[in-house]
Amino acid sequence: MDFKSLLKKEFVFLDGAMGTMLQKSGLPVGEMPEILGITNGELIEKIHREYIDAGADIVYANTFGANRYKLANSGYDVSQVIEKAVSNAKKAAAGTETLVALDIGPIGQLLEPAGSMAFEEAYDIFKEQIIAGKNADLIVFETMTDLYEIKAAVLAAKENSDKPIVCTMTFEKNMRTFTGVSVSSMALTLGGLGVDALGVNCSLGPDELYPVIEELSKWTNLPIVVKPNAGLPDPNSNTYSVGAEYFAESIAKMIPLGVKFVGGCCGTSPEYIAKLRQVFGEKHFCKNLCPVTSAVCSASNTVNINQPRIIGERINPTGKKLFKEALKNNDMDYILSQAVSQVSAGAEILDVNVGLPEIDEKDMMVRAVKAIQSVTDVPLQIDSTKPDVIEAGLRAYNGKAIVNSVNGEEKSLSQILPIVKKYGASVVGLTLDENGIPKTSEERFKIAEKILNRALQEGIPRENVFIDCLTLTASAEQQGVNETLNALHRVKTELGCKTVLGVSNISFGLPNRELINSTFLTMAMQMGLDLPIINPNAQAMTGAVRAFRVLADFDKNSLDFISAYSGVTANPTPTTKADSDVFHAVTNGLKDEGAKAVEELLKTNDPMDIINNKLIPALDKVGDDFETGKVFLPQLIQSANTAQACFELIKKKLTAENNSPVSKGKIILATVKGDIHDIGKNIVKVLLDNYGYTVVDLGRDVDPSVIAETAVKENIRMIGLSALMTTTLKSMEDTITLVRNTKELQNPDGSSKCVIFVGGAVLTEDYAMKIGADYYCKDAKESVDTAKKVLG
Amino acid sequence: MIELTALNRQECIRYLGGAGVEMNSQMEELLNICEKEIIDSAQPKFLYKEVTLADSPFLLQGEDIQSHLKGCDKAVLICATVGLSVDNLIRRTQISNMAKAVVLDSFASVAVEQVCEKGDLLIASKYPNKHLTFRFSPGYGDYPIELQKRFLDILDAQRKIGLCTNDSFLLTPTKSVTAIMGISDKEIEQKKRGCAICTLRGECRYRKAGTHCGF
Repeated sequence: MDFKSLLKKEFVFLDGAMGTMLQKSGLPVGEMPEILGITNGELIEKIHREYIDAGADIVYANTFGANRYKLANSGYDVSQVIEKAVSNAKKAAAGTETLVALDIGPIGQLLEPAGSMAFEEAYDIFKEQIIAGKNADLIVFETMTDLYEIKAAVLAAKENSDKPIVCTMTFEKNMRTFTGVSVSSMALTLGGLGVDALGVNCSLGPDELYPVIEELSKWTNLPIVVKPNAGLPDPNSNTYSVGAEYFAESIAKMIPLGVKFVGGCCGTSPEYIAKLRQVFGEKHFCKNLCPVTSAVCSASNTVNINQPRIIGERINPTGKKLFKEALKNNDMDYILSQAVSQVSAGAEILDVNVGLPEIDEKDMMVRAVKAIQSVTDVPLQIDSTKPDVIEAGLRAYNGKAIVNSVNGEEKSLSQILPIVKKYGASVVGLTLDENGIPKTSEERFKIAEKILNRALQEGIPRENVFIDCLTLTASAEQQGVNETLNALHRVKTELGCKTVLGVSNISFGLPNRELINSTFLTMAMQMGLDLPIINPNAQAMTGAVRAFRVLADFDKNSLDFISAYSGVTANPTPTTKADSDVFHAVTNGLKDEGAKAVEELLKTNDPMDIINNKLIPALDKVGDDFETGKVFLPQLIQSANTAQACFELIKKKLTAENNSPVSKGKIILATVKGDIHDIGKNIVKVLLDNYGYTVVDLGRDVDPSVIAETAVKENIRMIGLSALMTTTLKSMEDTITLVRNTKELQNPDGSSKCVIFVGGAVLTEDYAMKIGADYYCKDAKESVDTAKKVLG
Repeated sequence: MIELTALNRQECIRYLGGAGVEMNSQMEELLNICEKEIIDSAQPKFLYKEVTLADSPFLLQGEDIQSHLKGCDKAVLICATVGLSVDNLIRRTQISNMAKAVVLDSFASVAVEQVCEKGDLLIASKYPNKHLTFRFSPGYGDYPIELQKRFLDILDAQRKIGLCTNDSFLLTPTKSVTAIMGISDKEIEQKKRGCAICTLRGECRYRKAGTHCGF
């Protein structure tokens, strides 16, 4: 028997709990069940055999937690434990048709951004397990709660074996996993990666899992797996509430939803599996026929493209001086603020383009994707001309993304489409080819057709192909506008593809561009445009989409429209005089007022004068008030934020005048290796920024070598380190030692070129000196004072 | 099922180092918004498990815990969290509004402490005729923080409430707690927790002013 022939059966029966059976036979609390495979293989084999006798078609080898991380202090390595566990299960299955699954659970640590384990490290951990389990018949990933982790697992399986893959994740009553993954996101992402069956296990009983399976059946055509607990557990006593008969009957109610694989999780025993066999014996499998949906997702947010959805275009350096600066300076916060502001303005998907000749685009794409996903939950569109950048972005992406783009050129089709297929993404197809952009709608339609056919041949379904019929400039080719719209309409109606269009090009060279843009956008939506790529911060554009959704009957009862606009008049503008004073605004933390005042001042004053005579004294006053206890931390930060808004305006003006931006010197900030508490470091960053220093923020959990290398590469003389916990003070010491011992960071006499200041809740002055720091800063204000002392 | 309906504002202000600061209306407003956002996004979860100390000698590492559990033959391990969505909220807010993020962070610390307090009541009700010590956490005094991982394994906390540690034994989600409470048949001398085990001791304004928060 192999997996394929197993699928021909009406139902596939899985086994029940291993842990519960082991506890019954007296496994001590806190002991790793996986070790028993080596120390007491007969017991494990016996439990497998009981499940096989009860009718299991697949038994899960006792390998759930057998990973490098969990086995670290066990005295055994991954291959020992897994090989023995698979062979125990194989022995039990010998002479029967039962298959043995390599069973892989969560690693036991949270991945980035919530935890500190990198996606790539998770991949390596899974890879090791998969290679060790080469004798199993299939691979099962179960009890997963993090979509990113299971994505790493599935990629590791696909790239290191050719075995069938079954995935089950664990949901709570709110239809989310602990990390917030939705059922639709699981289905879209894992379905796209090409797993063989998909479903849920653990956490709840069969009754409570019914709505989860019902939701899943709306999002996948794959065979559905359900492996519930024996009812709801009492979390503190580990007793379960549902007997075998009720369990089996309850799961049988899910047959019309497309359930094919059934088994039991915690609290179940061979009796439950036998009952399942009995109850399912005379029933028939119902193939689940879920409607075809075009949708993309992050781990927690699915965007169904059943109506016009806004793609934000602002994360793109083309024609943006500040953006280019930010990319060159590795200023991720700039990119993140672009992301956050577009989302709050109404973007539902964000295009991400970080292409700049001077930088390593691939590395930047990976970092940008990870960072943006850590602060927003909108799906992303990976935008690059380079296949390796697209692939790296898709790999690092958590969810189902869009690729921007492929076109009708042979080279593009053959390079891009296989990547889109491998990662289960959607793709934008541009209607141009070797001969450029065709003039007529007929020719553009033909290219669209070609792209679609090639995608279908590659195994990319129609619902994942979005066609861009290309906007030309109306002032240059006025008659071309209709060609674009007609092609779009034909693609939508004749090919059944979703359509996408960058809108802003239309108005190039004309005055009042926003008026042309929003009118064209409305025309295009009426012709069937699904995905306008726009600047969502332009209110007329976002407004046109929202209004269209009301008038075209998508926004039922105008709920979204009302929630977007009903508050508009209720939000009073602060009553401030236009000439109000910068000093007052900064000391009171009034951002809008401060920005207005600076704009006024910039008309008549030298930018550097404003900084030195207005902003810095105001910040100093707040700093003094903070030290003497007159104001507290949030107020200090609000003032700093106000000053930052003022600095931004001044920086903009200086950049526009081609003066180099003001900087008082570069400072590295990092939270040391192992530490994930970074709010303190970020507060220091805000303040240093506002005092005019350029902060190279290396983030949290930063390896000592990265800090030393950056100091060398960027020629930086001041380094700030933060650690919150006693356990990570060691990393701080290691970092200081490495910086001191790095040849390039030493003067000819061997003394250090770098000044290091440290801070964090558990640090003391004495300790800071002991580990070799130059300064101990008890709070953000002292960090600024220290920077002033060192850099001026 | 533990629910949070209101958060202790004085505690939040204390975490912010704002003891003695005059509140203005802008700050009041910020505190109101942040309290609501934390209550809305928190997913409080709590687990406990009884252990027999004689069977688990690794729980008694260090002098502080031995003195704390003096006279106890059993103990309860607990863990509590307000969930990952709170971490996400704080991370997200740091991009657009750091002042607000700092207040959210403080309220989140208050929230997980309140989850623990509700847990305390739950446990007290399960042991009506016993005496319980206060919660003592790995990382207090000389009690090794490495034990957090053992605590979580014993409580099966990853599977049950999604609580893990990283390589440095820090908890993820970050707004979480592990602790041990001794159980005794006899009256226990109720010690104050005091400043020695407080993470704020370096920067606390009460201490600077020569007073004490009463914790």
